[in-house]
Amino acid sequence: MQGFVKTLFGDKYTLGVAGSCILVAAVLLHTPAAIFAGAVLPICLLAGAAYLARK
Amino acid sequence: MMGALIATFLTATVEWVEAYTIVLAVALSIGWPRALGAAGVALLFLAVLTTAGSLILTMIHDLAILQFVIGVFLTLFGVRWLGKAIARGAGLKKLHDEDAEFAGLRARADIHEARAAWWIAFNGMLLEGLEVWLIVVALGVQTHHTLAAGSAAIAALLVVCAAGALARKPLARVPENTIKFVVGSGILSFGTFWILASLGYDWPLGDAALPVLFAFYGLGGLGLIRLYSTKTLKLGTV
Repeated sequence: MQGFVKTLFGDKYTLGVAGSCILVAAVLLHTPAAIFAGAVLPICLLAGAAYLARK
Repeated sequence: MMGALIATFLTATVEWVEAYTIVLAVALSIGWPRALGAAGVALLFLAVLTTAGSLILTMIHDLAILQFVIGVFLTLFGVRWLGKAIARGAGLKKLHDEDAEFAGLRARADIHEARAAWWIAFNGMLLEGLEVWLIVVALGVQTHHTLAAGSAAIAALLVVCAAGALARKPLARVPENTIKFVVGSGILSFGTFWILASLGYDWPLGDAALPVLFAFYGLGGLGLIRLYSTKTLKLGTV
């Protein structure tokens, strides 16, 4: 069961990275700068991957 | 659709190679029929999970919700694999070594006991297969090609079985980290695309944004490997 949950969601760091990136994108989409969401989300996620690589 | 099939095939290849190492280690203790039996039961379980997962997701009739759910799972998977591949590529973490994995399994005391060994093979196959299951269901349902995605995973299994039958030892020469890097970038591209699409974002390039995202994550990841490698070298020389 633990393996199943970890496969679906990863660890707390992965969840934190993905969650905060999606939150940033969702908020950005409700501002006049919504057009930049297509660039901001990938940049946030790449930064997240960089952070996870150091963990 | 082709990108989804390639990503499924590559993900499955990496996972089946790891599963093969476990089944091989067990087979040397309890024989091939019982080891393959354990792997077969795990595969059957995965097939049932795939059917159930696909059915559950197809019950979501709102396209935006479906895209968001699948996008989140793919993002969680992709960012994890890309991060891991960057860390291993830069030397921050040890590369996955099938030979060492095999030696570790053979050194376990319980692998020589029939029932425990059976569970090791079953559990190993199931846990490695869960990531294949996730990709098959997520990419399959979203592209409406679950059967094709499942076939890609089975094709990868046949390739690994054939390679294993020829080699009769762990498949240590498969470039697992390179494959993980490519798959991580690809899966993260699909996740990013579908999350924003589900939130109402209109991608300026449409579907053509996917290869752009893939190039961004790939080149960005390579840049990070280079950056971290340089830092590791500098720290090592101090």
